[in-house]
Amino acid sequence: MSTLLEVRNLKTHFHTRDGVVKAVDGVNFSLEAGQTLAVVGESGSGKSVTALSIMRLIPESTGVIGADSDILFKGESILSMDDVSMRSIRGDRIAMIFQDPMTSLNPVYRVGRQVGESLVLHKGLKKKEADERAVELLDMVGIPHARERARDYPHQFSGGMRQRAMIAMALACDPDILIADEPTTALDVTIQAQILELMIALQERTGTAIIMITHDLGVVADMANDVMVMYAGKQVEYGTAEDVFYRPLHPYTWGLLESLPRHDVSDKGVLVPITGQPPSLINVPDGCAFHPRCPYAKEICHTTVPSLESIEDGHSSACLFSQDPSFRRDEVSPSGEVA
Amino acid sequence: MSDRDDLHHDAHDPHSHDKSRLEHGDIEDVAGHPVKDQAQLLPVPPTDEFATGGGRTLWGDAWYRLRKNKLAIAGLIWVIFIIAVTLSADLWVKPIFGDPLSMDTTVGANLQPPSADHLMGTDKLGRDVFARVVYGARISLTVGVIAVAISVAIGLIMGALSGYFGGILDTLIMRGADVFLAFPYVLFAIALIAVLGPSYRNVFIAIGILGWPSIARVFRSSILSVKENEYIDAARAMGAGHMRMIFRHIMPNAVAPIIVYGTMSIGGAIITEAALSFLGMGVQPPTPSWGLMLSDARPLMVRAPWLMLWPGFAILTTVLAFVLMGDGLRDALDVKMKD
Repeated sequence: MSTLLEVRNLKTHFHTRDGVVKAVDGVNFSLEAGQTLAVVGESGSGKSVTALSIMRLIPESTGVIGADSDILFKGESILSMDDVSMRSIRGDRIAMIFQDPMTSLNPVYRVGRQVGESLVLHKGLKKKEADERAVELLDMVGIPHARERARDYPHQFSGGMRQRAMIAMALACDPDILIADEPTTALDVTIQAQILELMIALQERTGTAIIMITHDLGVVADMANDVMVMYAGKQVEYGTAEDVFYRPLHPYTWGLLESLPRHDVSDKGVLVPITGQPPSLINVPDGCAFHPRCPYAKEICHTTVPSLESIEDGHSSACLFSQDPSFRRDEVSPSGEVA
Repeated sequence: MSDRDDLHHDAHDPHSHDKSRLEHGDIEDVAGHPVKDQAQLLPVPPTDEFATGGGRTLWGDAWYRLRKNKLAIAGLIWVIFIIAVTLSADLWVKPIFGDPLSMDTTVGANLQPPSADHLMGTDKLGRDVFARVVYGARISLTVGVIAVAISVAIGLIMGALSGYFGGILDTLIMRGADVFLAFPYVLFAIALIAVLGPSYRNVFIAIGILGWPSIARVFRSSILSVKENEYIDAARAMGAGHMRMIFRHIMPNAVAPIIVYGTMSIGGAIITEAALSFLGMGVQPPTPSWGLMLSDARPLMVRAPWLMLWPGFAILTTVLAFVLMGDGLRDALDVKMKD
C-alpha cells in the first residue's frame, strides 16, 4: 500500500475581528490508497476545516495555514502548488461531497449535466459524451430510470437522490480520494444507511480512499479502517477503528461512545451526555482543552497541554493519563460491527 | 424542499387557498387546492419520487407564474403592440396619414384637431401627430433598450468583479459607483451630453453610462448571496476556475434581479430620453420624439391641447407597461415562491 495523502502539522487559523480562531491546530495523519479514515468530533472541532484545507478551499482573506504545515498528495505538496495545478487536482484526483444535498446542486442545471461537468473539465469529454457517462454514473449510484432522471432539475430530486447524485458527481473522474463532509447528516436515518452502503459498495469497486467526516460514531463503525477523534482543533485519539471502538484511550472518546444510542444493550436505557459546551476556539482553555468537561480532570490537566502520544502500536491518545494502563474503560463498545 | 405540485400554485391566484370558490366541475389537485381548469393540472402527476418528469426550467416556472399575472401580461401586450405598430409603420402609417416629417404649409392645415384624416390632429407645422407618435416610439424604444443594454453590460461586469472577487477591487468599483450616484441624474446626463454634443446616439450613450452603478449594485448583492450557497463550494471543489465559477455557476443564479431591474429601467430610460429631448439636449428636430413633441406643444397647450395629450399618453402607457412587466417578472422569478 502506498501513502496517498500525508498531512503534517496542519494548522489552519482564521483571523477574525474577535481574535484568532485556531480551527485546526497541529493535525497529523496519513491516508493509504483504498483505505477509509473517519474524522470524528463535535461541531466546531475542526473536522470540516481540515477537509477544506486539503482541498485548499479555505478563504484566503481570513484563513491562514501555518508556514510549517504541509499536505502531501502522492508526495507532492498541495500547499505550495499554483492555482492551476490545484484546480486540476480538485474534482479529478480529490473529490468532495458536502453536507447538505439540498443546496449542493446548482438549481439551474439539469442533474445529468452537473454530474458530467467534471468530465468536461478534467477529462476533456464533449458535452454529449459527458451526458452519456453521467447517465451511467447515475445508474451506478442507484438512481432508477437514470436516463430520464438525468434530464431532471435538482428540485425534482429527493434528498437521498440528490446525495446519490452528489456521489456520482464526485466519483465521475474516478478520484484517488473522496472527502465526504457529513454526507448523511441531513438525511433520514433509513436513507443514511442506504447512502453509507452505497459508499461502501462503490469503494470496493473503485478502490477510492475515503475521508469520512462525521459527528456520529455509529455512521463510521461499519466502514472506517482508521478513526481520528478531534476536539477543539486537535487530535485527541487516533487508531484503527477496532482500537478506538473497543479499547478507547481518551476520556473524550469514552464520552462520545457513551452518548451513542445502542441497540445491543437493552438494560441501559439512559444515554450519558458529555456535559458542558465545546470550547470557543478563540479562548481555548489552558492545559488540556477538554479538562473543563472531563470527569477525570486533575490539577495537572489545567496547566499542561497533552500531546498526542503513541500508547500502543498505531494507537495514540492526547491524554496525560493514557500511559497509565489502569486508566481504561473497556466496557464501552461500539454499537455496530467493526470492519 | 417543496413538493412538485407546490410549483403550480401562485400566490396571485385568488383561487389557490379559497375553497369556498370551488365551483362545480373544478378539480382539486393532490394538495387539496382547487385547480381552476384542466390546463393548470400537472403535466406529470406527482406519483412516487421515481416518476420521470419532463424537467421544468427556472424560466419555465417563471413563465408559468408570469402568465397568471394579468397586469404584467397587459404590460407585455402593450409593449408588443407598440413594437408591432412602429415596425410596420412604413407599410400603412406613411401611405395613409403621411410622412411624420412632411410639413403642410397650406393655410388651415396646421393645428387641426383630431379628425378622420388626422387621427391625432396636426401640429403647428401641419405634420400628422399620429404618424409622429408612431415614429417617435422607434426613438423611445430604441433609446430605452440600447441604453439599458449598455448599463447592463457595464453593470454586470462591474458587479460580477466586485461581488465575486471582493476585497480592494470591490471597494474601488463600489466607491466609483457611489461617485456616479452622488450626482443628480438628469444634471449629470445634461453635462455628459454637453460634452458629447446633443444627438440621438449620445442620448443613449449618456443614459447607458449613467445607469451602470445601480445595475452593478443590484448584481453585486445578488452575487454575494448566491456565493454563500453550497453548490458554489461544490463547484469550486470540482476544480472550476474563476471564469467558470462566475459565468456558469454564479451568474445564472444571480441574474434574475437584473432582468427585473433592467425591464423597469427601460421605462426610466424612456422618461429620461423624453426629459432630455424636452430640454433640447436629446433628439434634435425634426426627428419625431415624444419628448420633443411635448416640448413643441408646450406653448400651444391651451390652443391645441391634443398636441401635448398624445405624446404624453404614449410616454405614460409605455413606461407603465415596462414597470408592470418588471413588477410581474419580480414575482415570477422570486425563488421564495417556489418553496
